[in-house]
Order: sequence, then structure tokens, then C-alpha cells
Amino acid sequence: MTIEYVDAGEAINHSQLSSLPHRAPDVTRGVNYDRILQARSESHNWITYYGDYDGKRHSLLDQINVDNVKDLKVAWIHQSSATGMMASTSTYAFEACPLVVDGVMFVTGWDGVIWALDATTGEQLWRYKHAVPFDVTLCCANVNRGCAVANGKVYMVTQNAQLVALDATTGEKVWQKTIGDVRAGESASLAPLVVKDTLITGSAGGEFGVRGHIDCWDLETGEQRWRCYTVPKPGEPGSDTWPADGEAWARGGANHWVTGTYDPELNLYYAGTGNPAPDFDGEVRPGDNLYTDSVVAVDVDTGEIKWHYQFTPHDLWDYDSTMEMTLFERDGKKLLAHFDKNGYMFVLDRTNGELQHVTPFVDRIDWGAITRDGKFMPRKYPDKEGEPCHFFPGPAGAKEWTHASYNPDHDLFYVPVADVGATATRRRREFKEGMPYWGAAVEVDVDNMAGSVSAFDSHGEEKWRYRMDIPMAASTLSTAGNLVFAGKPTGEFMALHAETGEKLWEFQCGSGHHSSPSTYTVDGKQYITVPVGWGGWLEGIVPGMSGQGKGASLITFSL
Amino acid sequence: MTIAEDREALLAEIGGQNKATIGAVLGSGSIEKATERADGTMEATIRIPEDALAWEPGVLLLPHGGILELTIINDDKNTHACLLPSNGDRKFIGLLNHSKGSATLELDGPGYYWYGSPAGNDEGRGLTAAIVVGGEVPPEAKLDRPAQPRP
Repeated sequence: MTIEYVDAGEAINHSQLSSLPHRAPDVTRGVNYDRILQARSESHNWITYYGDYDGKRHSLLDQINVDNVKDLKVAWIHQSSATGMMASTSTYAFEACPLVVDGVMFVTGWDGVIWALDATTGEQLWRYKHAVPFDVTLCCANVNRGCAVANGKVYMVTQNAQLVALDATTGEKVWQKTIGDVRAGESASLAPLVVKDTLITGSAGGEFGVRGHIDCWDLETGEQRWRCYTVPKPGEPGSDTWPADGEAWARGGANHWVTGTYDPELNLYYAGTGNPAPDFDGEVRPGDNLYTDSVVAVDVDTGEIKWHYQFTPHDLWDYDSTMEMTLFERDGKKLLAHFDKNGYMFVLDRTNGELQHVTPFVDRIDWGAITRDGKFMPRKYPDKEGEPCHFFPGPAGAKEWTHASYNPDHDLFYVPVADVGATATRRRREFKEGMPYWGAAVEVDVDNMAGSVSAFDSHGEEKWRYRMDIPMAASTLSTAGNLVFAGKPTGEFMALHAETGEKLWEFQCGSGHHSSPSTYTVDGKQYITVPVGWGGWLEGIVPGMSGQGKGASLITFSL
Repeated sequence: MTIAEDREALLAEIGGQNKATIGAVLGSGSIEKATERADGTMEATIRIPEDALAWEPGVLLLPHGGILELTIINDDKNTHACLLPSNGDRKFIGLLNHSKGSATLELDGPGYYWYGSPAGNDEGRGLTAAIVVGGEVPPEAKLDRPAQPRP
């Protein structure tokens, strides 16, 4: 006798078993290029990754200020941890900067998740969860740095190198594009940037010997407008900085894995590029290895590189230069400031890439030196097979990807500084697609480390320093309230006096900080929001804190 | 130290309930391939046999990314559930004793995904299985470089 099965029906979306309304107000409909051009003038919102195209991470909001910040309290907390098995399970973390548009917050998590939240209560409005393969290649963690919004949509990349456009009111997918080759070791982690009627993205995977690129996509359809490779092919400009024979260029790295900045008058996108591959074995890639460890100024209409400046020619220490290129003006000149992993602050003329000056911003630099006028003098590097070489800063750099902020009223940059060294022992290996391609055994120091939030003026003079005994690993936020907000690896979220560095307030968030805080107002009330949760590439950034324990919360403060 | 010839016998030892371990060790079950319709949609059936606390197959192989229409059967004399990966949101289905349902999944390839029964410690006892998606990324997403050696 056959027994009929009980009808279990059709599987449903997991979020149907929740209190989510699956609906958010249509706030991003009116966000377009013209509004993003004026983003700072609507400081009640945070509508693009850095808060504005210039990368300053400075808000004009001043309701929370030096006089009342001592009264700052938790307004709400959003919590989310992992469900089920996911890629790089032990490394997931918030690395995002939350966007806020007219009372709705959009924040990305890890493993393909983005939430829309009520920015006044923290209520989840909708969520989208992309399915990310368990075996996806990640260097160096299951993370995502944020999203973009425009024209009724939200855009983000996924760890398996997909670009998705979502309906901002429902979280439902509108279109999806594959933007990298996961078999080659490519992934994606940066926040896309809306420029005109396009989106700009980049790729990750420099530790696997891929060829870096920057891509431009149609905002509405996802069709590709251009791709700009950051390592030239033989015969292209810059190709003479790679060996003429062999395929070192094809595995050269130079990935653009942190969002760039943009000057609309010059029509240029300033993209930082990553390390060459293999990271520590330079003998297989003689030459300067353009455009690794550089800023490339890219014409946003064509994808053409108009000029470049290389911060670490022929890198042997894993000194990516992907971190922000902050745009500012001084004495009528259009300038760009960059705090590099190699421990030096660079100021360039952003119209042509001409160097203005170079200044060290961390105490211990012994890999070599760069003079104020840019002369590059390497001294210590892993050049002999099997022979350990210790150097400062380590491969996470004197400042990792986490961002500095800049207060133009004081002409001060607030820099999250890491002061920790590492030992690399060259171990040559042959290239195989999708396999790690470092060319060394690497161990970052677990003691003898320090860190700080340091304030430098645009000439490179240090004005104050908030000292710590462990490296800083989170972005700072500057506000017109004369405050600098910064989170420590040990969990404290601090407000510092913008002119003196005096600590005015702190709150123990229960887990370390490795993200980018932002600020906004709703109905006239200012909020400070910070994603919290220790994780990411801890064995490179602060291995001495890799056993600290994890967390995953978004904490929002108000008076 | 065990020699390679013992692999099947050792797999049998770790692949069931209350044998070498308390539950079935993940990844120790059977493997099957999905079928593909002319339009590229893929079809497969996954099942929980009686007293197995494991999915059959333990590994489901898809030829490429795309849409998978899945039939899900619980032949066990206990109640379980299934939480599956899919672009947009995970898909959930409750599985009463001796029940049958379905799920439509959208998955990117290449890569592989775990799914499980989110009840009790079903996942740890063995009700965690893999969907393996083969294939390559679209040609336009590949790097402009000569073909490179793979492991």
C-alpha cells in the first residue's frame, strides 16, 4: 500500500517568518547625481560612501558638540549574527559605512547581507541576503564596506564578485551582473560609487595573482560602460615597468578594493590600487610594476588613466595604496592627501599628480625611507630565499583601509594609526590560478605594538596624538561639533576634541571596531551610528587581538 | 595510520548514526547530479531517509549557476525542516513526518553551498548537505589575460 506524503508546500523566504514589514519609504527615488554633488550641504543625510565625493568624512552637523557630548546615550541597537555555515566563518565582520536617506538607513553586513532600517528606532524594514558560496576565495575576510543609493535603488557588491541593484523600497533584486572571476581568485568588497548615470566598482584578489581593474556600469541597466585595467598589457603605457618576457603583468595585482573619490570639475575618479603579486617576491617581477600601489586619476567618461602617482615602486612589503584619496584645497590649489600603508603622508596636485610633499605619520618605519621631495630609498626587504626579514610597518601598514577624516575648519586630518611590524621570509612558489600567491611566509608581531588617533595638518605637521597601546583599526568621523569619533579594537567608541585630542566621552560597545561611523539627523535630532564587531583580517592587522572574541551590532547614539 | 584502500569502509563507519560518532559526519554521504531541462532550468530531489538524519544525496552537483527546482522529501518518522541558500533570501520549508514539498532556488556559479535542517541539532547530526555549482563565470567577466595554469 502506498501512503500519500503530507503536502509540505513550497519553500518560503526565511524573512517571512519575522516581524519585518518588507517595505521602506521611497527615500532614494530623488537621490541623483546632482544631489550627490551637493551631499555635504544635506548633512542631515549620509548619501554616499564618504559622505561626499571628496572623501573628507566630515559632517556639518553640530547638535552633538564638545559641550554636550558627555550626555550621548544609546538610542538603539541592531544585532545580527551568522545563520548556518558561511564562507570564512571565523572572519566575518562589519566593515561598512551606513548610508542614511531621510530617516532610512542602508547598511551592508557580511556574506551578501544588506538591511534597510528605520534610522530613528532601528526597526528592520527589509533585508536582502545574496547566496555566497562557501568556498569563495576571500582575501582577507567575509566583509563588505557599504552600498550606494540612487534613483529608487540600492547597489552593492557581493563576496563572489556580483553587483546587484535592489529596489530600495522592498529589497527585491532588479538586476545582477558578474563583475569578476571567482575561479581566478577575484572577489569584491568595496562600496560602489554613483557618478553621473553610472556606478564605479573595483575588484579584490591581489593576494591570488589576478589583474586588477576598475569598472563602470550603467546605473539603470547594469550594462558595462568601460573597464580600466590597473596593470598594463605588453605595449600599453607603463608596460615597460614589468618584465618584457613572461606573464608577470597578467598576475600583477593592483586591485582597487576601496571606494575612490571624485572631482566633478576635473571629471576624474581617484582610485587607489593594491599590492603587486606576488606580494613579497619581487625578483619574479623586476621593475616599478605600474600601476600597483598607486593613485590613478581616471576619466569617468572613458576609463582612461590621465595621470598616476606610485607611492611604493616595486613593492616588497604588501603596501597597498587603496585607502582614501582625500580631496581638499589650499592656497587656491586643488590637492589630494593620502596616508599610505608605507607610513608616509603624501600631498599631490590632483590636477596632474605632481608631488607637493611627503611626511612620515607613524613612529617606526625601517623598511626604508622617502624624502620630503619623494625620493624612494628601500633598505630592508625579503630578498633572500628562506631568510627572515623583519620590518616596520607590517603588511597591514601604518594605516590599513580604515579611513582618516578631515576637518577643513582646522585643516586637520584625523588618522587611525597602526604601529606594528612583521617578519616575512621569502618562499618562492609557482603561480597557479586561484591559489594564494604571496611568495613568502609572513608573521605579524603579536606584541611590541602601538597605535593612535593622530591629527596632522595638510603640511604634515602633527598637532596632537591620542595614544593607545594597540593599533587603531577603524575609520574616524569628523563633525562640525568640533568632535572626532573613533572606535578602538577593545570596544570603546570615543569622542575626541577636534583641536586637542582630549577624550570627552566613550562607550564600551562590547566588541572591537573595524568599520566606518556616520552621522545624520531625523526630525531635527542628530544621531551617530557605528557598526561594531571584531573580525576581518585580524592576523594581518592586529594578530595580538585575534583572540579577543567576535561581535556584530550596529549601535546608534543620540543626546 | 589508515591506508587509502580503507576509504570506503571508513566512510561507512562515519556516515551513519551512532557508529564511529554520535551523528553522521558531514560530506560523507552520496553524490548525485541534477538534471537539466532544455531551457537551462535544473531539477533534483533531496530526501531524508528513515533514521538517517542525513540528506540524500549528501552532495548535489549542478552543471552551472541558475535556477534549481528542488523536490524535498522527508521519509523519516520525525519532523525536520530545510533552510536553503538562494539569491535574495534563504528558503525555508517545514517537513512533517513523511512529507513532500518543493523549493525554487537561484544560485550563482561556480562555488558550493551548505544547507541544513535548522531544528534541534539536526545540522550537527548529519542533516547538512552541499549543493555544488560547477561551470565558469560569463566570458565578459573573465580577466583579459592568457589562460593561466590551475592546480
